[in-house]
Amino acid sequence: MRLEANNLTKAYHTQEVVNIEKVTFGSAGLEGLIGPNGAGKSTLMGLLTRRITPSSGTMKLHIEDKTHPLNPFHSHQVARIGLIKTNQRIQGFDSLTIRDSLRLAATPARAEGFKSLFSGQRDSEEVEEKVARLVEAFPFADRNGYAMSGGEKKLLDILRCLIAEPKLLLMDEPTAGLPEDITRSVMDMVREKVQAGAMRVVVVEHDLPLIWEYCEYVHFLSEGSILFEGAPEEVKANRVVAEKYMGV
Amino acid sequence: MDYLIFSVSLMLVYIGLAQLLHIQFGLAGIPNFGVVGFWGIGLYGTGVLYVKAGVPLLPAMAMASLLATALAYVLARLVLQRNGQAILAATLAFATIVSTLVVSEKDLTGGVQGLGTIRFPFSDLEQRNLIFMIMLLIVVCALIWISAKLRDSRLGRQLVAIRDNEELAASLGKNTAATKRWVFAITCGLMGLLGGMSAPLHQFLVPYQLSPSLTFAVWIALVLGGKGHNLGAIVGVFVTFGLFDILIETYAPVPAEQAILLPNFKLFCYGVLLVMIIMFRPLGILGVDKPKVRSSTTTPPRELSNASVEKG
Amino acid sequence: MLLLDSIFIGLLEASPLILAAMGFTLIFYLNGFMNIAFAESITYGAYSAILFNVVLGLHFYLAIIPSMLLSGVLSVVVYLGIFRPALNRGVGPTEMIILSVGVSFMLRYGLILFVGPENLFLNEPNITYLQFFGMGATNLQLIALVLVLFAAGVLYWMIYNTGLGEQMRGLANNRDLAMASGINPHRTSVAIWFIAGCAGGLSGVFTGVFAQVAPYMGWNVILITMLVTIVAGVGSVRGAVLAAVVAGILTAFITLITKPLYAEVVLLTAFIGVLTLRGARTA
Repeated sequence: MRLEANNLTKAYHTQEVVNIEKVTFGSAGLEGLIGPNGAGKSTLMGLLTRRITPSSGTMKLHIEDKTHPLNPFHSHQVARIGLIKTNQRIQGFDSLTIRDSLRLAATPARAEGFKSLFSGQRDSEEVEEKVARLVEAFPFADRNGYAMSGGEKKLLDILRCLIAEPKLLLMDEPTAGLPEDITRSVMDMVREKVQAGAMRVVVVEHDLPLIWEYCEYVHFLSEGSILFEGAPEEVKANRVVAEKYMGV
Repeated sequence: MDYLIFSVSLMLVYIGLAQLLHIQFGLAGIPNFGVVGFWGIGLYGTGVLYVKAGVPLLPAMAMASLLATALAYVLARLVLQRNGQAILAATLAFATIVSTLVVSEKDLTGGVQGLGTIRFPFSDLEQRNLIFMIMLLIVVCALIWISAKLRDSRLGRQLVAIRDNEELAASLGKNTAATKRWVFAITCGLMGLLGGMSAPLHQFLVPYQLSPSLTFAVWIALVLGGKGHNLGAIVGVFVTFGLFDILIETYAPVPAEQAILLPNFKLFCYGVLLVMIIMFRPLGILGVDKPKVRSSTTTPPRELSNASVEKG
Repeated sequence: MLLLDSIFIGLLEASPLILAAMGFTLIFYLNGFMNIAFAESITYGAYSAILFNVVLGLHFYLAIIPSMLLSGVLSVVVYLGIFRPALNRGVGPTEMIILSVGVSFMLRYGLILFVGPENLFLNEPNITYLQFFGMGATNLQLIALVLVLFAAGVLYWMIYNTGLGEQMRGLANNRDLAMASGINPHRTSVAIWFIAGCAGGLSGVFTGVFAQVAPYMGWNVILITMLVTIVAGVGSVRGAVLAAVVAGILTAFITLITKPLYAEVVLLTAFIGVLTLRGARTA
């Protein structure tokens, strides 16, 4: 499992937002991506999931012994080969209940064809079980209803991505808008899945203590480029990171 | 009696069209303002094949519906990934193109002189119009049944997700563009089928039948009845077409000099009704119905997963 | 020669369309929805001209101004009575369009119930046929063209060079920020709806005098107005003027080389093509 980008750039008009010579994600189990505001973190995530079209450069996802070039893909194709991203901004399906939203994410798209009109039961026991397990693990106000608060919507967004069982999960600021204890239980669940070998994760965060606690490897992005990479201890001790980011 | 059968048959066509629009707009969120265009392709396609090419009626209907499907697919490829207002304008433009071509291609369609005569199937039976009405009834019931199945299916759930937030649905691996395209093409093809079935009903086809008022009548009925409810189309058509075109125009004692203004009065009332409903009951008379699914939404509580128990 | 002819005829034909497109665009820009009931601003402008010119016996040129103003007043009444309450309730853009279809029906068929479905004719001033450089036009057509270009120029100046235009652009871009900086959204909106109604009314008067005054005249041009507006980009008044002129010239050109019906088909197909290339994407 390796997500690799080479000579990746993205410019809006003449403003270059991302300019990365080479970066590889997914070598370690849980990785962090940190950097000051405006460093291009969200743009990079958008590029990797093909919601944003790069100005130049190539992106490849290696899974087992297959290599998928990501450039010609649409965003749904990226998701189908196992690369999914949680959203920083609150997003959701307003007319789907919490359970329906999760069932939707747990159902592979090929099971949603016209034939599904005539299958007796809408969701398999397997899907129902996965949904129930997730819904009951978290304190939603109305487990059979809709996600009401911003926090519930944010949590649901992350759970949707988890239940889709990606090979590589990108998490864009999972702590923003979530209470601390919920963030921790989400991250614990994520770590457990990573340790079980089910997936690998890249977390984009401003909450550095969380990064130091969970991540095995950290990338530092500033002004659109990767300036330093290494284990948390190395990043913490690095002078460039300290200067550009931690304001020391 | 014949007139009543004709009116009821026409009403069935309206219900069918509104039902298909419910799928397109109510479920998938595609604002198709070119209903009369797809219906018209079916109508005139059937008419031309039957009258000019001598194709028997039922194969002619099938071929015309396929044509409507194909054209809808092409149009979908062109504009369906644009925003709602662009889709609305493009479908409206499509319908206008269809009606303009019907006027200009006189050799094929008879132009303003009209095209006829298209006979009912089973033309040697005396009750042929009644039989045809029952055929229409079967088609419309099938449409209602299918859209209920769609509402309760995984595909229907995906459509609702696309309507709510297409980008998010795509990021979860749903090929939203293809889903919308196929649903649009097939439902437009079925609008074409209803157009084909309208051909023997009208017997004689004139371009006037392709005016956008059909599109608006169907939209008004659906919005009144409830765009997101599976029975919204029926209720809406009963309240509009059923009430005005059948009850009042047939049975109300209106003096002859005022009768000529009656259709205008009807459309004026439609306008007032539409404004009132959007202001005071935007989801329509019936509101929105939820999927009726046999699944265990009340599973007994389970033990929390280890991760969340051991937190902290 | 063909090109010159079509530019000339196109401009003559497009002159009412330019005004209609500008008025339609103003509302689209300010409130973010396509107001199909704008068709009735055009129709009511022409019927007001009937009132002043035929019923009250005013000279045609004198009837233009009050007809235009009446149409503007109607536009404001409809805005305050229906569209503003609906916008305040948070009705979405597609539903706003459906609402405007309802308003359009109410106004159009209300008018028919009131004055009857027959086509009416304005008392035209003396018409002389002028010829120059081998091209012909009536004096009325030329006066219309000049008047329309003048009105369009005034409108254009107002939008890009006056406080009202600035306020409108502020409201359209960021309502909260505009209000915080002291713009009265209520007064600006009323002014814009009034101006849009006047533009539609003026367009209707000229559409009516070139042919006839009929209940469907507004509807007949609203589709092309809508397409012009969308193709020009969301509410760019500059773009709308340009697209209207191009549409007029294109129509005239195709009409000259083929049957007029094909001109419409080609134009609409071209519009769908442009939408495909540059419409706003959903996903």
